[in-house]
Amino acid sequence: MSDLSFTENLTSSDITIEGTVGKVVAEDAKMSMRNVNVFYADKQAIKNVSLDLARNQVTALIGPSGCGKSTFLRCLNRMNDTIPICRVEGELLLEEQDIYAKNLDPVLLRARVGMVFQKPNPFPKSIYDNVAYGPKIHGLATNKAELDEIVISSLQKAGLFNEVKDRLDSPGTGLSGGQQQRLCIARTIAVSPEVILMDEPASALDPIATAVIEELIDELKEKYTIAIVTHSMQQAARVSQTTAYFHMGQLVEMGKTEQIFTNPVHTLTENYITGRFG
Amino acid sequence: MTSSTLIFVILFLALFSYWYGMHRSIKVAGGVTKVKQLVSLPRQFGLLTALWCGIPALIVLLLWTVFEATVIESLLVAKLPQNIQEMTPSQLGLYLNDIKIMAQQNLGEVTETSEQIKHFAALEFQQLNLNAAWLKSAIIFLVCLSCVMFIVSRFRLDYRARAATEKITLKVLMACSGIAVLTTLGIVLSVLFESINFFSEVSPVEFLFGTEWSPQTALRADQVASSGAFGAVPLFVGTLLITFIAMLMAVPIGLMTAIYLSQYASQRLRTVAKPMLEILAGIPTVVYGFFAALTVAPFVRDVGESLGLNVASESALAAGIVMGVMIIPFVSSLSDDAINAVPKTLKEGSLGMGATMSETIRHVLLPAALPGIVGAILLAVSRAIGETMIVVMAAGMAANLTVNPLESVTTVTVQIVTLLTGDQEFDSAKTLAAFALGLMLFVTTLALNVVALKVVRKYREQYD
Ligand SMILES: Nc1ncnc2c1ncn2[C@@H]1O[C@H](COP(=O)(O)OP(=O)(O)OP(=O)(O)O)[C@@H](O)[C@H]1O
Ligand SMILES: [Mg+2]
Repeated sequence: MSDLSFTENLTSSDITIEGTVGKVVAEDAKMSMRNVNVFYADKQAIKNVSLDLARNQVTALIGPSGCGKSTFLRCLNRMNDTIPICRVEGELLLEEQDIYAKNLDPVLLRARVGMVFQKPNPFPKSIYDNVAYGPKIHGLATNKAELDEIVISSLQKAGLFNEVKDRLDSPGTGLSGGQQQRLCIARTIAVSPEVILMDEPASALDPIATAVIEELIDELKEKYTIAIVTHSMQQAARVSQTTAYFHMGQLVEMGKTEQIFTNPVHTLTENYITGRFG
Repeated sequence: MTSSTLIFVILFLALFSYWYGMHRSIKVAGGVTKVKQLVSLPRQFGLLTALWCGIPALIVLLLWTVFEATVIESLLVAKLPQNIQEMTPSQLGLYLNDIKIMAQQNLGEVTETSEQIKHFAALEFQQLNLNAAWLKSAIIFLVCLSCVMFIVSRFRLDYRARAATEKITLKVLMACSGIAVLTTLGIVLSVLFESINFFSEVSPVEFLFGTEWSPQTALRADQVASSGAFGAVPLFVGTLLITFIAMLMAVPIGLMTAIYLSQYASQRLRTVAKPMLEILAGIPTVVYGFFAALTVAPFVRDVGESLGLNVASESALAAGIVMGVMIIPFVSSLSDDAINAVPKTLKEGSLGMGATMSETIRHVLLPAALPGIVGAILLAVSRAIGETMIVVMAAGMAANLTVNPLESVTTVTVQIVTLLTGDQEFDSAKTLAAFALGLMLFVTTLALNVVALKVVRKYREQYD
């Protein structure tokens, strides 16, 4: 972007992507994906991607718009099942278990692999009911006291409790954007998932609300394994331990976050993080 | 010239003024090459001129047409002998009618004295009409001409023809919406006044709380026929009963159809099924009516009898079922729209929590779509209350006060139809009762709509 003449010599078509550079395998993998291909009808959106999500770590997925980050993320909890034309191939394991196995119920999978979306999407219910929604449908609480306990602790973990404790009965849609996104995070952790997927969770928020969310992500990794899609390099650098760079449906490079941002191996990665491409 | 010819003439003149206005504006600018100096385009000047030519003339023509008959009549009456002028209004009306009929025929010679006056009057009437026609044409031409002259005289380089046209357009639009509002008001008021007439003969208490409905009043004093009872309760109970059965049928089926089509059905099925459902809404109600009377009602009776129940051949149940079928597409189509309008992110959010599709629908989609669904249902209710044809054919005319769906009942709309068909005295209680029923129906539907709006607004505030 900043140096156009330089970019002209280095358009993406000039640089071949031969497999993935860097280390895709984690010592202690919570989820591991091998040779994943995703198609929307005839169009291939993900090409032969393999990577691991390390347990209790934050993995950032970065890359230019349309490169398939959301598509890949949505494979991990089978949200792509809701799109009829979408087809997923390859091996995707959660704790050694194939998540696309025929006998696996995607509904139960989604309780284990939660998701936070780009735009805050609280349900048209009260704050309390928003958080209680998951525990109720999964029968996690046997009585009201237990449910209260889950709701309060989830709100506390999401760092929202103090702001809303006096108005748990007011609609969740009445909160500010940043509060709504934290409510969605509270809602997700209320069903005690093992993995949390976040698709640009802070892109609709102002810098202060973003900082609060980033801090929260950092705390959450103590308990959960997290994958986050982001367009902000600074955010990826601040919250993640591992970074994966996608380009046109392929995983170009993956490695420790410091290494990716200070010393990228692949030219495409370097161009992207230095802002020469994007 | 007749009014219809005059309309064409006015339109032609307007067309001509368009050209004339354009021409004049170019002249004001000082030639075709200098039109850029004008603030507005020549064709905008043309349009303005055309509007100034046409609209005032049309208004004058309209007013003329409205008042012509009354003015001519009073002029004619003024020329008639004293004894005729002193007749009662209704006698005078008949007399004038005779004159008008005579005026339309060839006027030969007459000898009788009384006929001579009429003959003279008829000739006079013809003459008045002729004069009026000439005067009308002349005035219209004058109006066109002077309006065009006036507006063209104001053309300057900086005259904002475009803005002026805009103002006229605005006024025309306002007048049109005014017509709609005034018509509604007129209907409501006339129904109201006729109802007041009715209530001066039958007490409102009897009408509202009476449980017997038999509107046959005696025409002659010696007639043995009933004295007439105007208790509307059986009609309203019948209406509510049939509406209730119809909604019991239409709401669950319609709503589930909407859910299936919007959430589960494949794209291909949806593109076929939705238009088919909408065809159902387009079937004339009279078709539903004979379907109800000839197929459903006998079927209901047979089933009832095989169960040992006593079912009338025309039952509220049959009418209600068929009306329900008729209403299904309303409920399903509008609910489908309401469900589809719920943001996709909400659905994904719920599915992403590990909720199943049906949990998502029940807990997230339906509550979010509720305002639209409530609106759809209330619309369907007003449709059911106002429906006539099916009930006439399938539920009968007997005003039984019952909530038993197996008996024959009647509804408000059906009674309005029966009250007003056939030869009627316009001011008998029987005829006026139709207006009172109409008023009640109007008030009910209005109340329903107000409640619907309230409900919708309340939930909307909560969810946005
Ligand atoms: N529902 C869909 N149907 C068809 N094609 C899709 C669909 N969703 C995404 N795609 C295509 O798949 C490719 C990857 O899209 P994806 O949304 O995963 O990109 P992304 O990396 O998340 O982009 P962004 O950063 O803009 O969110 C794009 O080319 C897109 O057009
Ligand atoms: Mg995306």
